[in-house]
Amino acid sequence: MRRVLILGGGTGGTLLANLLARRPFDVTVLSASDAHLFQPSLLYAALAGASPRLTRPERRLLSRRVRLVRDTAVRVDLRAKRVRTASGSVYESDALVVATGARAAPAQIPGLSETAARFGNYHSDVAAALRLRAALDAFRGGTIAVGQASPICVCPPSPAEGVFLIDRLLRRRGLREKTRLVFFTPYPRPYPAAAIDALVAPRLRALGVEVRTVFDVESVDPATGTIRSLEGDELRCDLPVIVPPFAGAAIEYEPADVLDEDRFLAADKATLRLKGVDDAYAIGDAAALPTSKAGVGAHLQAKVVAAELTGKPAAFDGRTHCPFDLGDGTGVFVTSSYSARAVPCRPRRLNLWMKKLMPRVYWLSLSGLLEPIFDAYFALTAPQAAPAPPAPAPPREPAAR
Amino acid sequence: MPPEAETHRRIDSRGEACPGPITDLALAYRRAKDGDVLELWATDPGVRSDVRAWAERTGSELLSVEDRDGAIVSVLRVRRRRP
Repeated sequence: MRRVLILGGGTGGTLLANLLARRPFDVTVLSASDAHLFQPSLLYAALAGASPRLTRPERRLLSRRVRLVRDTAVRVDLRAKRVRTASGSVYESDALVVATGARAAPAQIPGLSETAARFGNYHSDVAAALRLRAALDAFRGGTIAVGQASPICVCPPSPAEGVFLIDRLLRRRGLREKTRLVFFTPYPRPYPAAAIDALVAPRLRALGVEVRTVFDVESVDPATGTIRSLEGDELRCDLPVIVPPFAGAAIEYEPADVLDEDRFLAADKATLRLKGVDDAYAIGDAAALPTSKAGVGAHLQAKVVAAELTGKPAAFDGRTHCPFDLGDGTGVFVTSSYSARAVPCRPRRLNLWMKKLMPRVYWLSLSGLLEPIFDAYFALTAPQAAPAPPAPAPPREPAAR
Repeated sequence: MPPEAETHRRIDSRGEACPGPITDLALAYRRAKDGDVLELWATDPGVRSDVRAWAERTGSELLSVEDRDGAIVSVLRVRRRRP
């Protein structure tokens, strides 16, 4: 039987393993942790007092036919398909799929690790989300600054969702009048994609949120609450709520040039095959692709690789479908693909209800049993392709991400 | 010790829809030094106004924006307000 080794037991790795388990493959998942976190839950745990079950044991999410190894990959020889782990074990396979995700990398910005340790955030882990919740519970008025520190961010709507939910929390607690709420972003407008910004910017204005655009965080001083930007601006606050930069896993690869500067892997944007090696793929946040880092991408990419491994050519179309809580009881889905730029649907209560349902559906979706429903849903909600932009024919130089 | 040489970096964002090009530019800016030149190749028409707004706000010099080989090529010199 063909051996497939999947590095990472997140959304992409778990779904792929379960899709392959129905076929004659010998599937192993190597995962550093047995606690599988539904990452979007951190938003509501930190900012809306929700206490759902945020994690489930990975073993229970995987088919019994899949071998789960709890260990951390430290060195990967992509040509030999050989993986060395932190415990000193070596695993070999016929095909290798890297699904190691993206992790918060606060250390990239001076003072951000200390800030996260003190005030928490809603992007790292459950403990950080609960620290932020405690910091908000203790807040009695002053300035709260919310924003993303770097352009590399998982879940593009999450920085704006953060400010909307904090505004709502403050209003409910009668603290909004006593609070200056500031939203900062490295982009020239509050939401990175212009079409979505048409929904976001007017809402921020109506809520009285002060917006600082083109504000790239250079450093943070947690003692004084001072956030400095590369552009030379300064922002002082009592409670910094900062979306950290993200980076790929600290794994050494051979060949090394498969990694970009942020440790994401260069994969073909359609087939997800790693550049320059056979039978090796990257999916989900671990891959450097010209689309958003989001769970829906990991899901659809797992399907593409499952098809590829079973000999059916498939292509990922860059699809995103990100639920976005606008904080006013409604939500939108932000959809895009490689050939269609990001557009929102109409804000509706139903969209928010679907977002709130996702934490329950998610665990079952990893089994692969819901695929016929997902296929129909994604086809129904596919974004309209824009006139094809001139295709970039020459090979890319090492890109900035 | 002589100052580190200024570099000229080409960023290829062709075929990427908004906000791809401005994301790539902002990432390159994080890694650039004062005086570095960034050359952004993009096909999304929104890049023209984005690059102008971005250059103004970062204090970078927009040296040129021109159509070349079916792409919009913007050349900027990074200026750091705090060296």
